[in-house]
Amino acid sequence: MTIDEIKNVILEIIQDIDDEADLDNLDPTEALRDQLDLDSMDFLDIVMELRKRYQIQIPEADYPHLATLDSCVNYLVPRLKAA
Amino acid sequence: MAAGIRFARFGQKVLILEKHSKAGGLNSYYYRKGRLLETGLHAITNYAPPENKHAPLNRLLRQLKIPRRNLKLRQQLTSEVVFPERASLTFSNDFGLLQSQVALHFPDSIGQFNAMKDELDRYDPFSPRPKISARKFVSSFLSDKLLREMLFCPIMFYGSSDEGDMDLSQFVILFRSIFQEGLFRPEGTIKDLLGLLLQQYKDFAGEIEFSSGVEEIISTDNKITGVRTRKGEKIRCDCLISTAGLPETKRLFAAADSAAKFSELPEDNTCGRISFVESIFLLEKSASKCFSQGRTIIFYNLNEKFTYRRPDKAIDLNSGVICFPDNFVGGQEDNTIQIRVTHLANYDLWLQAYNDTDKSRYQTMKIYWTGRSKNIIGKIIGNCFENIVYEDTFTPVTIERYTSRLQGAVYGSPNKVKDGKTGFDNLYIVGTDQGYLGIVGSLLSGVTMVNQHILNRI
Repeated sequence: MTIDEIKNVILEIIQDIDDEADLDNLDPTEALRDQLDLDSMDFLDIVMELRKRYQIQIPEADYPHLATLDSCVNYLVPRLKAA
Repeated sequence: MAAGIRFARFGQKVLILEKHSKAGGLNSYYYRKGRLLETGLHAITNYAPPENKHAPLNRLLRQLKIPRRNLKLRQQLTSEVVFPERASLTFSNDFGLLQSQVALHFPDSIGQFNAMKDELDRYDPFSPRPKISARKFVSSFLSDKLLREMLFCPIMFYGSSDEGDMDLSQFVILFRSIFQEGLFRPEGTIKDLLGLLLQQYKDFAGEIEFSSGVEEIISTDNKITGVRTRKGEKIRCDCLISTAGLPETKRLFAAADSAAKFSELPEDNTCGRISFVESIFLLEKSASKCFSQGRTIIFYNLNEKFTYRRPDKAIDLNSGVICFPDNFVGGQEDNTIQIRVTHLANYDLWLQAYNDTDKSRYQTMKIYWTGRSKNIIGKIIGNCFENIVYEDTFTPVTIERYTSRLQGAVYGSPNKVKDGKTGFDNLYIVGTDQGYLGIVGSLLSGVTMVNQHILNRI
């Protein structure tokens, strides 16, 4: 998957979790949690959805890598290379 | 069902075994004279506006993937705590109303009340810790005894499994869910809400078998390997979630050592003693002239002290809850008015009557106590009971029969398993006995336990 494709997948998953999330004004370098008012339960859903779709395991210790949109993409690029 | 939805949502194979022929457990429904009657619902606590994303109700709906707009929620009008001839406090889904009522009726206590509220806001009721006395905590802030009793009355009636006092964590959960968040009903009946949950579960390919109670939990060493149902079917599983309750689940182990491994607590310590008698009255529409309007729930107490424990008599008429299910915003027009009246009740006395060789005794006892209840309630809300179209009463025995909660303990065990863990590493307790309270709480318990213990295993 390309960087843009991964970005779109993450945005699609977030939209699916909260269909009123304001994704148009999202700053990719700022924490998703603060901008979209997400909590730990919502983050678990992002992780579970990635696991369901692409069979990738994200250990809890790696959750901080999912803090911003950019850090999510950087973390997932090597893991979704073949997807 | 919430746990099932959560697990099935991520492609896992889930089977729900439901003992009853209908979903809902304590919050189910039945039909009489062609009308659907709810078994226990007065109101759902934890109301939150859609924009409050971290509120339990909205978190729950997101986790279950149920869009909030699919649920039309009807908020309460106002509710009231009445201690006749002494004081009354009204409250709504705007916490400011309760604060202004305290300021009006207990002007010397409003500062103390707000200080207590600030302390409660900082308290995390979900972290495991030893029990703390809620009465001592509240007394350390509020010097006015009457105000203390008036706050405990609705809080205990709407969720306390303890007698007399309660754990501070439970008090915090209930204070938030009743006073700071508030009361609502879904549009329609509980059947519609259950239908929505069931449909969501089935849409995620979850399976459910009704009239299929678990007779035995089968284990080897530290693992649960499966269950045997009432039909004699053995079903294997990797993981088991029990919503039957703590003492009720313990009884499902055939061997004493397995039961002890599940929980070391003896049944006497885990079986709740709080149960209720509730009467449902359908009145002619014209009866509305007879009683005070605009209240959704009235909590009353006649004695100086509010006593919350299993009474010595069949019913404790000194206190009770009067619910007007039609009095929510946007109430639907109907040709009858419904009133539900709830009192603390003594399970043993009702069971004795039920098992009496004189088969009419149980029924006679119901008629006697309902009559006395009507007299007292009539004095509080106005006498409207000459216009009854239909009435029905359920007792602790009814509750036990239909929900399998031992002794009809609606709020379950006074000993909560806050982390949901048992002596077996793939068996978890979910629901009221895990420590979350109310309908939203019980559903959230299923979600949280699956998130914490099971999703990370797949």
